Amino acid sequence: MEDHYRMDRTMSTAQDTKISARNVQVHYADNHAIKDVNVEIGDKTVTAFIGPSGCGKSTFLRCLNRMNDTIDICRVGGDILIDGEDIYDPKVDPVQLRAKVGMVFQKPNPFPKSIYDNVAYGPKIHGLAANKAELDQIVERALRRGAIWDEVKDRLHAPGTGLSGGQQQRLCIARAVATEPEVLLMDEPCSALDPIATAQVEELIDELRQNYAVVIVTHSMQQAARVSQKTAFFHLGNLVEYDDTDQIFTNPKDPRTESYISGRIG
Amino acid sequence: MNEHISSAYDRDLEEIQTLVIKMGGLVEVAILNAGEALAKRDVALAESVRAGDKDIDALEMQINEEAARTIALRAPVSKDLRSVLTTLRIAASLERIGDYAKNIAKRTTTLVDIPPINGTDTALKRMSREVQVMLKDVLDSYLRRDAVLAEDVRQRDQEVDQMYNALFREFLTFMMEDPRNITACMHLHFMAKNVERMGDLVTNMAEQVIYLSTGEMPDEARPKDDQTAFVSTPE
Repeated sequence: MEDHYRMDRTMSTAQDTKISARNVQVHYADNHAIKDVNVEIGDKTVTAFIGPSGCGKSTFLRCLNRMNDTIDICRVGGDILIDGEDIYDPKVDPVQLRAKVGMVFQKPNPFPKSIYDNVAYGPKIHGLAANKAELDQIVERALRRGAIWDEVKDRLHAPGTGLSGGQQQRLCIARAVATEPEVLLMDEPCSALDPIATAQVEELIDELRQNYAVVIVTHSMQQAARVSQKTAFFHLGNLVEYDDTDQIFTNPKDPRTESYISGRIG
Repeated sequence: MNEHISSAYDRDLEEIQTLVIKMGGLVEVAILNAGEALAKRDVALAESVRAGDKDIDALEMQINEEAARTIALRAPVSKDLRSVLTTLRIAASLERIGDYAKNIAKRTTTLVDIPPINGTDTALKRMSREVQVMLKDVLDSYLRRDAVLAEDVRQRDQEVDQMYNALFREFLTFMMEDPRNITACMHLHFMAKNVERMGDLVTNMAEQVIYLSTGEMPDEARPKDDQTAFVSTPE
């Protein structure tokens, strides 16, 4: 009891922290992919992970909703807390966790179903709707949050795969928010999109910030600068620098960050 | 600093820097020649300073264009961004200094027909020489990203301010002694004020160099010694 009390108190002092990672280590067999990463990710904030290919940013992102569980040779050490709860605790159900921590991938991957069913799938399996009318509401709200409602409201039963790339990606974002997650992870959500679709998704990310903690992995430094409030720079499995985005892009403290963001030979 | 992966980006940044140094060189010569023309009552030299201001202005235009192009095409960040931003501000300061030199030269052309006021020409020349050395040092500090040298230049502005104070009092005395001195003294006073303003602009440039190399503007107030705003009666 006493322990619980103390824990509540610690958490209340850090009420803006959504995700807290402490001494996180990831190994793929013999490869030490993430080396002792400590980071506090804020709620209602867009946090960008940047760094060269193979630096560990996607690996770390995938730790946050236990996607790495699906890889046999992958071992995760250290603690990752969401709202003060250890997500690697044996009592935590990864399926429930992933409803709370939604994910959007690099390539839009709608299910080969209708637009409606794409969004309704999650709420259905998690039992979020009592009847058809409620489900309709959830679908509409999710599609509106995904900033795609106006474009698809007249063809909800057309296949999701028939949409353009940018629309498909916004559909996937709508699908991710349909289960009322608290955290949204995005792994290069715009790399397959044209500049207009990218701008629409970026605008959407900024709106999503009002309700969620958003963590985005991106190769586009300009995108990180445009959409995020916090930026973390990863290099060779280390978290080199984590600071306000404007600080990282105007006056980074670590020379490795400086070299990377200004396009220099490290 | 390491090189960019894109070598054309390095060339763009270097080109802008070269233009700034070239512009700085022309402004240094303008300051020296303006002081020299006054001391020697050399109208031809004064005219050359006036004519030369066009080249300085043209260089500023060119720097602005190159900087805008680099921002648009390269989206510079961090040190590169500071480099482009400070370049714009430094070019603007240099352009203003050039204008002050030109104004000194213009007044020199007017002053040739009036007898010199006891020793003030030489004092003015010495003062402009001081500013020119400060400018040279600030340009060196810009090239070397040397915040220490820039801070040294920033501190030296108070010497220029003190020279200006002394001249201000001398002009007042001469004007009170003989009203026929007023025309010359008024012109000479504007010239001294011009040189004092040049010193302020060089100080601004020094602050830009400190921002460029450290990422932060110097916050402590620099020593200011221009006290003429408080002078009511000469002692």
